[in-house]
Amino acid sequence: MVIAFDYKDLAKYPFLKESEQLVRKHFDSLDRFLSGPRGDEALQRAKERILDAIDPKWEFREEDAHRLPPEIEIASYALARILVSCAGDRLLPERLTRYEAIAVSHFLESEEAEKKRYVAQFVGLDLAKSSLPVPEYIELITQLRDARWRLINRDIQSGLVRLEAAEYDELLRERIRVVLLRNLPLRVPSTLCERFAPIIDEIGAAYQQQMLEQFGAVEEEAFPPCIGGLIGAVTAGTNLTHMGRFAITAFLHTIGMNTFQIGEVFARAPDFDPEKTMYQVEHISGSSGTAYTPPSCATMRTFGLCLNRDAICEQVNHPLSYYRRKKKKIGKPKQA
Amino acid sequence: MKPATLEFLKQRFTDYYKTSYISVPSSLEQREWGFIFFDTSSDVRMRRHMAFSDPRELADYLKNMVPAHVYYSTAYYSTPSAPTMNDKVWTGADLIFDLDADHIMRGPYTEMLARVKEETEKLIAMLTDELGFSPRDLAVVFSGGRGYHIHIQSLAVRGWGSQERREIIDYVCGTGIDPAVMLTQSDAAPAGWRQRYLDALREHLLWLKSLPEEEGIHTLTGIKGVGKRGAADAAAFLAEIDDLARDLEEYRTRTLLGSRMVKAIVTEEGSAFEQRLREKGAHADEPVTTDIKRLIRMPGSLHGGSGMRVVPLSAGELAGFEPLEDAVVFGDRSVKVDMKMAITTAMNGNTYQLQKGTNTVPEALAVFVCCRGMAEIAGEKADGS
Ligand code: SF4
Repeated sequence: MVIAFDYKDLAKYPFLKESEQLVRKHFDSLDRFLSGPRGDEALQRAKERILDAIDPKWEFREEDAHRLPPEIEIASYALARILVSCAGDRLLPERLTRYEAIAVSHFLESEEAEKKRYVAQFVGLDLAKSSLPVPEYIELITQLRDARWRLINRDIQSGLVRLEAAEYDELLRERIRVVLLRNLPLRVPSTLCERFAPIIDEIGAAYQQQMLEQFGAVEEEAFPPCIGGLIGAVTAGTNLTHMGRFAITAFLHTIGMNTFQIGEVFARAPDFDPEKTMYQVEHISGSSGTAYTPPSCATMRTFGLCLNRDAICEQVNHPLSYYRRKKKKIGKPKQA
Repeated sequence: MKPATLEFLKQRFTDYYKTSYISVPSSLEQREWGFIFFDTSSDVRMRRHMAFSDPRELADYLKNMVPAHVYYSTAYYSTPSAPTMNDKVWTGADLIFDLDADHIMRGPYTEMLARVKEETEKLIAMLTDELGFSPRDLAVVFSGGRGYHIHIQSLAVRGWGSQERREIIDYVCGTGIDPAVMLTQSDAAPAGWRQRYLDALREHLLWLKSLPEEEGIHTLTGIKGVGKRGAADAAAFLAEIDDLARDLEEYRTRTLLGSRMVKAIVTEEGSAFEQRLREKGAHADEPVTTDIKRLIRMPGSLHGGSGMRVVPLSAGELAGFEPLEDAVVFGDRSVKVDMKMAITTAMNGNTYQLQKGTNTVPEALAVFVCCRGMAEIAGEKADGS
């Protein structure tokens, strides 16, 4: 059966090959497109995509995808991918694809079943099945941090992992994210990146500001007890479990420490092995492509890492929220 | 190790490598090799970053160099002989499990071997019945020391990174269980860990019930989430255990999730319940599975720490495998050894009680005790001539 996507549909799913074909039909070369009448429009929309992607307050609005003609909207999707590739920050592709995946999953919510199935198929997921073979399942969920996705918490029989119908939407979103992230950063010719330099600088500045607004300078006194405890354990030379190392690294990375600074934390261990540590830190903090969000309190508890809970803990369910709260608290008297 | 002992072991190992056919791992040319030698004079402990493109080359190397330990990479590389890991270019790796009795229990060698074999059988059952690996894809290997390895070469897993492998090893070991998920009422009959979890909980509750009441209460109030003031609740809980156990048997978990006592029992860290649950997993060594650039002992080679053969087996052969007979390759010619301590050990169906000092033993046992550093070759010429 042929499924007919109209142009408006394609603007919602700009990664489909049909969308790519549509853009190709309209614009023969990127160069001519960019210098043409609509080039700037597409570029501005691409910038907007990225700014939305790094804005924690961004909310999905269906009309955003339909303000411009579909071919411009789709071109802006592709341009945004080029821009984040030029920017060189490893978190940007991560943010952008997360944003795109969220938008797509919103569109899919109200999509006709056939089209939804087609999009799922395009990213390699068959929505008709009620279970997945173990290897396929594992490849799908490794980046999902919630404890309920772990293989051990699933019903498995004869190599098949049972899935609830309600879980498919989440899995589909994750699958789209992974597929969109797969070949990012793109290898973009440096001449092209130079041409985008002003826009990239603008994005970089906005991004930095976001980070500072969210977390500000690193303040160790504001670390939640679990993270403080883990760092204490490292300093004392305790061999942490993988989850423990993961929790520290992902936490420190998210609040704005770079790989080198995180490495310094691990260097407090008596048996510090620089090469191995940097490898792990870089892996977790995403120089290999993906950056991970630190585990929630629930997950920390599952892995026995929630230690010395205090009063602030009662009000939060994520170590990051703890950090933000405590920081505000200790920040105030200083300003007074 | 004295020169005579060293000479004796090298001769025995040479003899083995000269007369045995040893099959090479698949994709030989993509594997890195590492060797440890008897002579400790050299300052590099392991000679690694080596590669062989032809099985004959490898066989010649073994015959001529007579290494004490032979390892190859579970990983496949484009250039396995490159001196740094980055230059080798990783292209995939076998999925490996390592079961080592040292990590499971302490005790006499024969008991450790029996225990780790059970653990291996448990692991194989999980891999095949639950995770769906075909028994044909599992290569089981006696390590020559205190355990077993399982190699899975299936293409479906070869490209996996540490993350993906961790899902599997956590599953077999029982790591990262979320009690809330386990106790969620589901229409589907429990399978895998949910089944094990509910069974463990039922066993645990019945065990609590079987204790003298005072002790049961004491055990419960000792849990952090219950505390001394929970004594009355604990007594009431003990009284309803039979009902709860019946619910568990029929997999009705709704009532359990609401129980404060159950919650305290299942969330307490390092508890007796956690211990019980862990017992249901297979105690494989996590880092070995998640390390995608590891070296593993070559099946068919000799283990320099025991003189026994690293024996490749199929999943089906494991049950009938007796390491202290089937992994012994040397003969029964008499050899005099000087024991550093008294030991009792079994080999080839016999039990030997060796005294400290000089003993005359079959060659195979002499190799074993010398390799383990428990003895030196005594008096006479080492080659027995
Ligand atoms: S409650 Fe959350 S923030 Fe507090 S110690 Fe536990 S994991 Fe950390």
